[in-house]
Amino acid sequence: MSSSSVAVDAEALCKSFTLTLGGRFWRREKRQVSAVNGLSFSIAPGEAVAFIGPNGAGKSTTIKMLTGILHPTSGHLSVLGRVPWKERERLAYEVGAVFGQRSQLWYHLPPTDTFDLLSRIYNLDPSDYRARRTMLVERFGLGPFLQTPVRKLSLGERMRAEVAASLLHRPKVLFLDEPTIGLDVLARQSLRDLVREWNRNEGLTVFLTSHDAGDIEHLADRVLVINRGTLVLDDSVAAMRQDFLKEKILDVAFGEAPRPWTAPGVTELSRTGYTVKLRVDTRQTPIERVVAAMLDSGPVLDLSIENPPLEEVIAHIYGVASRGPA
Amino acid sequence: MSKYRFLVRTSARSSLAYWGDLLASSLFLLLILFIFLKLWRVTYASTGSQLLAGLTLPQLLWYLGAAESLSLSRPRITPEVDADVRTGALAVHLLRPLSYPLYRLATHLGERLLRLGLYLVLAVGLCWLFTQEWVISPRGFLLFALALPLALLLDFLAYFLIGLGAFWLEDTQGLTLLYSRLQLLLGGTLLPLPLFPDWMQQILSVLPFAGSVYGPARLFVAPDGHFLGQVWLRQGVAVGLLWAAVAAVFHLAVRRVEAQGG
Repeated sequence: MSSSSVAVDAEALCKSFTLTLGGRFWRREKRQVSAVNGLSFSIAPGEAVAFIGPNGAGKSTTIKMLTGILHPTSGHLSVLGRVPWKERERLAYEVGAVFGQRSQLWYHLPPTDTFDLLSRIYNLDPSDYRARRTMLVERFGLGPFLQTPVRKLSLGERMRAEVAASLLHRPKVLFLDEPTIGLDVLARQSLRDLVREWNRNEGLTVFLTSHDAGDIEHLADRVLVINRGTLVLDDSVAAMRQDFLKEKILDVAFGEAPRPWTAPGVTELSRTGYTVKLRVDTRQTPIERVVAAMLDSGPVLDLSIENPPLEEVIAHIYGVASRGPA
Repeated sequence: MSKYRFLVRTSARSSLAYWGDLLASSLFLLLILFIFLKLWRVTYASTGSQLLAGLTLPQLLWYLGAAESLSLSRPRITPEVDADVRTGALAVHLLRPLSYPLYRLATHLGERLLRLGLYLVLAVGLCWLFTQEWVISPRGFLLFALALPLALLLDFLAYFLIGLGAFWLEDTQGLTLLYSRLQLLLGGTLLPLPLFPDWMQQILSVLPFAGSVYGPARLFVAPDGHFLGQVWLRQGVAVGLLWAAVAAVFHLAVRRVEAQGG
């Protein structure tokens, strides 16, 4: 693929570290540890991708390679047509990054001062900067606290300002590392909506790492799952839900007590009055058979089929990945 | 360079938030100058001399006012660099189109220039109050200002270099403490260098400590073009060596980040 049709292109990417073990200084034992092992994927411009995996899976190492901080041991990598570790400073003008646990805002100054500073750091044209800032302030609802020192902001307000600050120089790719960590439900949703809006309307490529299933569900179209440095799943969020875990949750409300019915892989989760909640493993009994059996069991007033929560899907993928490739 | 100039300005504004620290340091300046006045008054009286280290008692107190202002205005660089290395925040800095050493220098200068300005004004007021003599001249101010840029750069480079030690050492606090105490004792903050024995003065003249405090403070009260030349020469050599050391160590440190992830 040409560089214009690919925002990120990684091929057989490997990274190993030399780990120094204990022992006396002059005879310390050294061991090679493989953090990323043959990772290959590509991301199209404007795509929103969640890059997930359990702790120690190689996520941070990969992000550091994508941003040019780390040299890969072997393999090919290009971000926006550039080799990150060779052109880190040039690439810095074209990518943005938000780290949920590291702030780029000056703690004792209002967000507007950090924006002014960033405009200088990224050599923005003054009139272009002012227009961009006005637009970001409006879209991110920063007006009420733009002149308030960052130390006095709530975490939600601070994170909105962080994301706005990272978009000031019009990056083409935005790296988000645990952006909603510590936020309450409303602040979390507000931040997700803003990033999603930017992704859809401005064509911003989003590369997200998060342990929060809600972030993945609301922010990403596609999921890359990494474990032990290897890609174990590359699929759309919807497909991951439907295909990876073949279980459904069935809620059926009857008009009277239903006749008892059992089948392999069907577990009753709860029963309230005439309402029954079932978990169905569709590999053992197809969902159509269960629905037909329910309609036969008694007068059905309401029936719904749901996918299991994304957390369960992810936990299941991690579980499978830790036992071997899926 | 406009980004670094703007960083100096932003850092100065940010440091105004630490007004409690500024107030405490100002009170310390008042206290230490008062104690110095009493101590040196007794010393001058007991030696029966009008001049010590080539300075009269009022000159000596004004010298100490400048030296203490320089010393007190120094922000804590090492813990910040150390923390950047240890917490991995250095990687975040490397994501921006900025030089990390220049970023740290600019933020250091912003805070330091603000503090130095404040303490100098205070020290001048206190010294005049204590001695009832106006010791300094416009020429003294000028030569002091001329010796200042390299003095501040030298100071920054030494502490920044120690902070980078966090890449290899368990903790840089010990080294920082050692360097700051040596600077306090041998750099002219507590007493002018001519009061040391001759053999020690020769050693001190080649060490970097005098260039950051003694040189500028001496020029403040005893302006001398020839001495400014000597100060510049010593500062220049020290800055050159430290700059080379910082460049080499930072290069190694970044390679270590690139290879090992920090």
